[in-house]
Amino acid sequence: MFDELRNACRPGMVGGFLPAMKQIANVAALPGIVGRSVGLPDVHSGYGFAIGNMAAFDMDNPKAVVSPGGVGFDINCGVRLLRTNLMENDVKPIKEQLAQSMFDHIPVGVGSKGIIPMTARDLEEALEMGMDWSLREGYIWAEDKEHCEEYGRMAQADPAKVSMRAKKRGLPQLGTLGAGNHYAEIQVVDEIYDKWAASKMGIEEKGQVCVMIHSGSRGFGHQVATDALVAMEKAMKRDGIDTNDRQLACARINSPEGQDYLKSMAAAANFAWVNRSSMTFLSRQAFAKMFQTSPDDLDMHVIYDVSHNIAKIEQHWVEGKLRTLLVHRKGSTRAFPPHHPLIPVDYQLTGQPVLIGGTMGTCSYVLTGTEQGMMETFGSTCHGALQSQHMSTRTVTQHDGTTCTTHLECAIELATSHQAPRRDLSSRLCLPRSLVVAHR
Amino acid sequence: MKVPALRCQLLFLFVFSTGQRSGATRAAHREVEFYRSQPKTMEFTPEELELPPCKYEYLDHPADVQLHAWGDNLTECFEQVAVAMYGYMTEIDKVEILDKQEIEVSSDDMQGLLFQFLDECLFVFSAEPFLIARKVVITEFDKEAFTIKATLYGEEFDLAKHPQGTEVKAITYASMQIYDNPGQHELFVIIDI
Repeated sequence: MFDELRNACRPGMVGGFLPAMKQIANVAALPGIVGRSVGLPDVHSGYGFAIGNMAAFDMDNPKAVVSPGGVGFDINCGVRLLRTNLMENDVKPIKEQLAQSMFDHIPVGVGSKGIIPMTARDLEEALEMGMDWSLREGYIWAEDKEHCEEYGRMAQADPAKVSMRAKKRGLPQLGTLGAGNHYAEIQVVDEIYDKWAASKMGIEEKGQVCVMIHSGSRGFGHQVATDALVAMEKAMKRDGIDTNDRQLACARINSPEGQDYLKSMAAAANFAWVNRSSMTFLSRQAFAKMFQTSPDDLDMHVIYDVSHNIAKIEQHWVEGKLRTLLVHRKGSTRAFPPHHPLIPVDYQLTGQPVLIGGTMGTCSYVLTGTEQGMMETFGSTCHGALQSQHMSTRTVTQHDGTTCTTHLECAIELATSHQAPRRDLSSRLCLPRSLVVAHR
Repeated sequence: MKVPALRCQLLFLFVFSTGQRSGATRAAHREVEFYRSQPKTMEFTPEELELPPCKYEYLDHPADVQLHAWGDNLTECFEQVAVAMYGYMTEIDKVEILDKQEIEVSSDDMQGLLFQFLDECLFVFSAEPFLIARKVVITEFDKEAFTIKATLYGEEFDLAKHPQGTEVKAITYASMQIYDNPGQHELFVIIDI
């Protein structure tokens, strides 16, 4: 973050970008913000809001705004973790075949198209019903919904508010993983710090195999965000909203543009949950085929599904009063503490599982939310900043069984102009309690 | 007067028909049938197939990538930046010119126009016809009314033929700069990946 600021302050900069520090500050100046504009440990420069930025706005303040930049282009990009009964020794001898099986089942990368049959009518229903649609179609188990934020469906979704363009972009891509920093990864538990909480999640011992899926709403979400930004630019002129940055396009929460955005964002969120559910289904199939058994016998349950690009209406204690806030989390994961009403019954005593996906070569973490986090950041933490891909190497690892056998990340090589080492998360996780470490 | 070869054939058919002068309707009907019977593959002139030099580059950004395109005039910059975007999604040299698509965009200002132009190019790839363009030619560029008409020359994206690059999620206004001055025609735009 400081490197960005240093570079941006050099005189004579042409073609540069706004550093994250300044973006967090610009967000703090938005009307209706409650508390602080928080930069999470892995914050870096983004569009309008920095990535790794949380900001909450007062739903009762007529001047408060909603901003698509505060959610991100990849609406409801998130992480889902599945457990299995398998151990590292079961998987090691056949890991190339297993990876290949996953590749064969899950469409991945630029230009890939979904293999789950969908018509325009199916898409409309999926947008409205979220994971309820997946359940109806038989792609998921009923208990999967329990272990998902919002139970896999945002009720305020309205497919009518979504443009035809977004639907056209989304339809061929439903059931695909995406490209860039998205992945479906077979992981092995490396370290367990809190045995009791881990066992509540179904993680019993070191060496246990899990599957982590990191994906979002694909072209659908991107188009919804783009459309909203264009509409809100006009609304800003009309309503006289002034911001420090053109990209911080926003609209009053109660304006038609604001409400339309929230409804179409919810539809995009549902799309992403259906997408992750489809990939859960495909992963279960891949494993079942490989081990000649059923996903039931492998006990491939969903541990939890978190979103790290979303805006939610939540109630929080602010200065001793309970207030309704619109919490924007961009590159930021919700982390609710024990006994919070919105987390599943199974995790009432442990707190919400927080899934932080690592980048290639670093570990992923499973954590639990704490009261302290609730107080300081309205229950938000980082998302495991995945630095972007650089043009220098666009090797797609899927065909190279030797270098990459246990993960499916596309376009993997991370290189910045400074040749900085990839950020290791272990030094940055502070608020949530460290729980389980899954190793690649 | 230059009459295309196809038209000549049509007139020929018309003259040697039943001789009844029922006029426009019958000619139009025959014309439609004639064009429908043509094979689907497109034919391109050598001028259309000629590839322009590469006048773009990719600049580093923490999470995204910045496209930098330049040219002898603003129109060329816009054409180059569109190909730059397609070039990030696959290896542009593997894309042949087998098909074309015409697009039309408009906006309220120059930055908005660049945004809409690239967004339309991205849409043409993401949804039907899933076209990836090797070459972009802007046929009309109105700098006062902020409208563009362009033709994209390329082919349908084929996983078997085109290597997978990096997906472009969206176009952004972040640090967008457009320079249209004598001696300086270039633009910078960040795309979300």
